[in-house]
Amino acid sequence: MGSFADAIDRIVAGNRVFAHDTAEQDPKYFSKLSEGQWPDILWIGCADSRVPETTICNCKPGEIFVHRNIANCVHPHDVNTSAVVQYSVGVVKVKKVVVCGHTMCGGANHSLTDDDLGETLNTWLHPMRELRRKHKSELDALPDNNARSARVAELNVQSSLNVLREHPAIKQAVNERGLTLHGMIFDITSGQLRLLDEGGSKKSNGLWSPN
Amino acid sequence: MQKYLTQSHDRIFENNRVWAEEQKKKNPEFFAKLKEGQSPDYLWIGCSDSRIPAEAITGLGPGEMFIHRNIANLVCNVDLNVMSVVNYAVRHLKVKHIVVCGHYGCGGVKAAMTPKDMGLLNPWLRNIRDVYRLHESELDKIEDEEKRYDRLVELNVVEQCRNVVKTAALQTSYKENGYPIVHGWVFGFHDGRLVDLKIDFEGMLKGIQKLYNLTD
Ligand SMILES: [Zn+2]
Ligand SMILES: [Zn+2]
Repeated sequence: MGSFADAIDRIVAGNRVFAHDTAEQDPKYFSKLSEGQWPDILWIGCADSRVPETTICNCKPGEIFVHRNIANCVHPHDVNTSAVVQYSVGVVKVKKVVVCGHTMCGGANHSLTDDDLGETLNTWLHPMRELRRKHKSELDALPDNNARSARVAELNVQSSLNVLREHPAIKQAVNERGLTLHGMIFDITSGQLRLLDEGGSKKSNGLWSPN
Repeated sequence: MQKYLTQSHDRIFENNRVWAEEQKKKNPEFFAKLKEGQSPDYLWIGCSDSRIPAEAITGLGPGEMFIHRNIANLVCNVDLNVMSVVNYAVRHLKVKHIVVCGHYGCGGVKAAMTPKDMGLLNPWLRNIRDVYRLHESELDKIEDEEKRYDRLVELNVVEQCRNVVKTAALQTSYKENGYPIVHGWVFGFHDGRLVDLKIDFEGMLKGIQKLYNLTD
């Protein structure tokens, strides 16, 4: 029980440091936070602990509205994701929707195989495994499983974006106020984000890229 | 807040590059270690609200906390999305703690109690009205509207903890390993601090298993 309790003490202490340091840097910070949120971005990312969106984008609390699930999948009839999209796009009125996959993704790795992960996860990952089947020859030609997994992650981002484009709140916001959608991959081995083009592959000079 | 808004998000990639450089400078092995895999101690189920980045407010770095965030931190029994997250975190990553974290001033909770047809949001937010109904007499007695919402936020967190405890993944793992433990917390914007609702996890599990036992 000892070490379990320590793990909780640790994040409570971490929170006290966060609260103290933040208030010290800007005494009005928390009163401003209480006023509301005006994030520009909805981030749909993987639940993976190695991809904390606000940290890797060097952003502050209040900047990114977040949904994270197993392998950043957007399935057409998922009420959870639909509610997040409806609220963030329709009510909070974000300007950009980002779907971010990543290299070394457990979900993508498992999608390369038909390993039995239990009925719940098998069902959730089924569409991703279908992507593998659909793109078999392209994936087979890649040098190793890391490359295949990264490619499946890219294809999955693109497929999630396609589902999002059909969401009624997104259709409306794209037409009425120029909402934009973007696919990205976070490279775990370098810590860098890169933008995907429409086809779901690499893009050297992205919309948001400074170069 | 304005400062952050004018700091254009077109520079998100630049921000990211700066961050990646800094990590490498502080610890040249940083990304090599991340590459090896993740073994987080915690699963965090929190609200999508942009003001509550779980890792940042708990002082954790990449690799330490598995995250699911949705509108009003709900754990619904027919939701394959959250159930997949709980499954993966408990059965594959073997997390030791599950934190369900709500926050005072939750827009989702407010929206849920607004008499309005919200389309696709209706089936999701309905779960919050159900929490209200379970605690109707207590909540109705609170005259101050803000305080009533705050209490509903707390009761919602407790109810979602209960929903986590109802899953087979949790019950089986707890029986076999003695973990994970479920915690109910609330984040306050006025001071940036987390409040522990101190739910009685053992008692909750026992109570729930009278009707919802999924272990043999
Ligand atoms: Zn992943
Ligand atoms: Zn909220």
